[in-house]
Amino acid sequence: MLVIAVNLSTYIPVGLLVVMALIFAGANLLMTHVLGPRRKGPAKDIPYESGMNPIGTARKRFNVRFYILAMTFLVFDVEIIFLYPWAVTFAKLQPASPEAALFLGRVMFFLATSVVAYIYAWRKGVFRWD
Amino acid sequence: MVWLWLGSLLLVPLVGVAAVCVFPARRAKWIALFASTATFAHSIIVAVAFEHWHDGGFGFGAAIPTLQLPKFGIQFEMGVDSVSLLLTLLTTLLMPLCIWGSFSAIKDRVKEYYGWMLAIEAAMIGVFIARDLIFFYVCFEFTLVPMYFLIAVWGSDNRARACTKFFLFTFTGSLIALAGLLYVAWQYQSAYEQWSFAIGELTAFSATHLSGSEQAWVLLALLAGFAVKVPLFPLHTWLPLAHTEAPTAGSVVLAGVLLKLGTYGLYRFVLPMVPEAVIAYAPAIGVISIIGILYAALICWVQDDIKRLVAYSSVSHLGFCVLGLFSLNPLGLQGSVIYMLNHGLSTGALFFLVGMIYERYHTRDMSKLSGLSARMPVWAFFMVFFVLSSVGLPGLNGFIGEFLCLLGAFTASADNATHPGLLGPWYAAVAALGMIFAAMYLLIMVGKVVFGPLVEPVVKAKEHGERLPADLTWREIGVLTPLAVLCLAIGMQPHPLTHAAQGSIDAVLATYPERVRHHLALSGQLAAGSAVDEPEDLGGSGVGGGGDGGRVDG
Amino acid sequence: MAEPASMIDKLWFLIPEIVLFGGVVVVSVMGLARRRIVRDAVPLVVCVFLVAAMAVIPFLYGHDRVFDELGRSRAGLLMPLLGRYVKLVVCAVGILLAMMSVWLTDRKLEAAVASGRARFDPIRVSRGEYFAFFLLSLIGVMLVCNANDLIWLFLALELTSLPTYIMVAISRPSAKALEAAVKYFFLGALSAGMFLYGFALLYGASGTIVLTEMRDVFAEQAAAGGLNSIALIGMLISLLGVSFKIVAVPMHFYAADVYEGAAAPVTAFLAFVPKTAGILAIMLLVSTVGYGGRTAAGIEGLPQPIMVALWMICVLTMTLGNVGALLQRSAKRLLAYSSIAHSGYLLIGIIAGPALGFDAVLFYLLAYGVMNTAAFAVLAGLQRRGEEIESLDDLAGLRARHPAMAVVMALAALSLVGFPPLLGFWGKLSVFIAGVEAGRIALVVIALINSAISAYYYLWLVGLPILAMPNAQSQTVVKSKVVWPRVAAVLAAVAVVVLPFFAQRLLSGSQGVGTPPAQQPLADSQRARADSQ
Repeated sequence: MLVIAVNLSTYIPVGLLVVMALIFAGANLLMTHVLGPRRKGPAKDIPYESGMNPIGTARKRFNVRFYILAMTFLVFDVEIIFLYPWAVTFAKLQPASPEAALFLGRVMFFLATSVVAYIYAWRKGVFRWD
Repeated sequence: MVWLWLGSLLLVPLVGVAAVCVFPARRAKWIALFASTATFAHSIIVAVAFEHWHDGGFGFGAAIPTLQLPKFGIQFEMGVDSVSLLLTLLTTLLMPLCIWGSFSAIKDRVKEYYGWMLAIEAAMIGVFIARDLIFFYVCFEFTLVPMYFLIAVWGSDNRARACTKFFLFTFTGSLIALAGLLYVAWQYQSAYEQWSFAIGELTAFSATHLSGSEQAWVLLALLAGFAVKVPLFPLHTWLPLAHTEAPTAGSVVLAGVLLKLGTYGLYRFVLPMVPEAVIAYAPAIGVISIIGILYAALICWVQDDIKRLVAYSSVSHLGFCVLGLFSLNPLGLQGSVIYMLNHGLSTGALFFLVGMIYERYHTRDMSKLSGLSARMPVWAFFMVFFVLSSVGLPGLNGFIGEFLCLLGAFTASADNATHPGLLGPWYAAVAALGMIFAAMYLLIMVGKVVFGPLVEPVVKAKEHGERLPADLTWREIGVLTPLAVLCLAIGMQPHPLTHAAQGSIDAVLATYPERVRHHLALSGQLAAGSAVDEPEDLGGSGVGGGGDGGRVDG
Repeated sequence: MAEPASMIDKLWFLIPEIVLFGGVVVVSVMGLARRRIVRDAVPLVVCVFLVAAMAVIPFLYGHDRVFDELGRSRAGLLMPLLGRYVKLVVCAVGILLAMMSVWLTDRKLEAAVASGRARFDPIRVSRGEYFAFFLLSLIGVMLVCNANDLIWLFLALELTSLPTYIMVAISRPSAKALEAAVKYFFLGALSAGMFLYGFALLYGASGTIVLTEMRDVFAEQAAAGGLNSIALIGMLISLLGVSFKIVAVPMHFYAADVYEGAAAPVTAFLAFVPKTAGILAIMLLVSTVGYGGRTAAGIEGLPQPIMVALWMICVLTMTLGNVGALLQRSAKRLLAYSSIAHSGYLLIGIIAGPALGFDAVLFYLLAYGVMNTAAFAVLAGLQRRGEEIESLDDLAGLRARHPAMAVVMALAALSLVGFPPLLGFWGKLSVFIAGVEAGRIALVVIALINSAISAYYYLWLVGLPILAMPNAQSQTVVKSKVVWPRVAAVLAAVAVVVLPFFAQRLLSGSQGVGTPPAQQPLADSQRARADSQ
């Protein structure tokens, strides 16, 4: 009773893409293997080939404040992305019309929630660096 | 307000529970006694006002207002016919006596104790007056909780195991029974596009619309629920344990009424609901109940513990009851109904008597007690009286029930003109051995404990608080006397009871003669040419006409 | 095809969520306030917002608001009335859960601040966050009711779950809670990936993400000879993924560890809120592919593979849950396994399908929410050596010292086992009746056997507190400093006893809300009949 009712021809572009991706990746690997020069030596086995010897461990812990700050940045960054299409649309509206007032009200509500987020972060001490 | 007629039988004990909870502990026993006595008085009024003593109809039919789920056809509908009213009377009579009889035995957690006693009274009455399946089931199940606590809190040493076993056995059984009942309700729903849980409607529907194999499955499911409660032979193991560990009044309630819920279930549901299956399995169930009778009787013989002896004797006696039910003729059913009442009276009294011994000597071991008639002549009188009643001495109540059950089984043969049955003289003959055994083990017990040289264990007063007087107190005599009077009265004049039960029994048995003849004709046990009705006639002819056929009208 | 529902029509039903979101905003800031009295008012404010949301809900679901002139859902929902019942239930149980959570976090710090040993430091408190996440998770469940496409459904499910990971972690300061949170998070991410993959396949098979359109597409496919196999595979994978939310086999493994690791109020939360969301999601998903007569083509019940899968999940869930519970010595683990078993009972209603089955499921969710909360509130309301009680031994002889808690535990356990006349019985009964009506006799019999098995371990919860003698361990059990969990316990226990008297009203409240709109005229006539009776 399982019947495949999807027209498979619609998937041809996808299939082509997959095939091309495979060919490209495979060809690259093959060509570097065939064409590339090969040298061996102790310097080839260290992580960096820049001539510098690595210092300390790679698993170093960063201060957690970096993360918190980064997250705060993300929050406000995303907010700007939301504001951008709003601004573009708002410019096209008739000035001082009820529709424009509604649009303004909506974005004000949105900004108000971000202000709350800002107050929260501030109170939590995110911006304090001592 | 018709519903208050029967509804107050539930409400009065429940109000009693509330009052016990509210008032201080020293008042609890008096409140409980008052509430249960008031319930008894009210049940007497109901019995006097009841109009269907002679025709097997249902009276006082009404639904409890507001408590209903119309979507599933569930209404908390009540109504009694003569048999359920008799069992209600037994319950309301025993409860005040149980509560009165506990006055000296229960010293701790008094409020809870009397609260549970009243709660179990309400639940048991609910079982007998329910005309709605879910209402029935709710009450049937709810009896477990108070009993669980009565055993678990006020029981003796091994109570934890006893109450768990009791709960699990009966709970599992009744869940399976619920599955069977739901199946019948579902068939009803598929046939009529509408849910109904009215017992009358479902019974009539099931008897006529379910096929033989469906009926067999429903029978097995119902038996799982009711046979555990009765208890029938292989499922009886919880009972001696529960009885031995329960407090005295708990044992009385257990033997007096709770076991009757099982036989009442067989009477009210199994017989009318699945007649084809009953006919097919009657011999097998007859054999099982006879095995139960004899097996339990033999075990009684070797008991040292008096209470355990009485408990096993219950298993044996209830076997007669089931045998009577499955003889499928009026004699057997009458015997069975009367046996239900009698067993409640005399075994209840025996448990009281054992409890009185235990309160004085803190042992139930027969080897440590002997010749108590010298110390306690009044107790000895009652003991002998109720043992004789239990043994089935003609003139006392036990005889009439046992005799009718055996007579029913004896005449339940294929050539019975009015009510052909599937048992026969052999069943009665073997079962009658149980009566002989009963006489032996009970009389041996009486001979040891009541008569002979006086032996009594030394009881240190300090260990067990206040000493009771050597012989019975007036309170204890007061508890036993009503039971004794009733035993004597029923033994002398059983006619009112048989007469009252007749109508209800006729309704239950309405279609059986035809069906049994048909069954016999099919299996070739009946000579060809005997009166065999057309099989098509079996459909709805007799069932709808019986008193069980429809909803009760108030 | 109906024109796309307007934004206003959709937003109208989100008013309770918006109210609660206001609560989130207020609470998260209030938790950081300088004045102690403001911080202490956080749970109260949560309850106020929940009550406000409850007060709004009855006014939202007027008939003209929900349906247009043609009887179609204005918001384009598959089950337009679902929220009317579920949102109320979620808010009501939410209030009980919020009461249990008072002082769950920050108690030591606040005590130190009050005695002057420490300064109040906003970075060290988490009460505001806890209750904000609490409300967000409830919002997630309520949004599931309004899901009209797969993306919304996915986001709502994740909004339900994501806060719970954090709630588990901050519920108590122990490594166990952190371990539980990490386990829960990774398995939750796995399950989210699974059902997202399933959703993608469903989209591939139907060409739409809108549930109502999917239902029509699948009905056409079925009429043309059978469902697309990609759709079936997608549906099965989605169901497996959502099984995680309702702790159903095979995604049940985390339950015991996570439930044990989290504090009791959070455990109660986990056992109710994500489960409700998962059950609703399953209802929505399977309604797109099946249930006879509900779709244009009239597929009988569910497609065979889906039915078989649900059937097996249901049976295994019940059985493993109950058998697993038999082996536990910790009350919390025991209740965790019982939570698994109850998911199995709920699935019976889903297999039975609309209208009776879905009604029963919704009613059962209410019953389960209340009785489960009662049981956990007892654990939260008592403590031993400063920790909430956990093992069954702690419960022994509770009656002697804490009679009210002992009675509540006994009532909750009896209700969970489905003992008449308590609330759990009516829930189970309605589910079983629905199962029987759908012809699933075997399933109901298995469920009944499972109920019998479960009686054994629930009897411990009845017997230990009321009957057993106190042991050395339980002698040291004392009341926790906060009274509110015990108040919640008593309230829930009262509800377990009293609500059966309103079973009729509650059941008719759930009536028809799970019925897809194609069936709506019938549901209306049923309601009219129920009202006239």
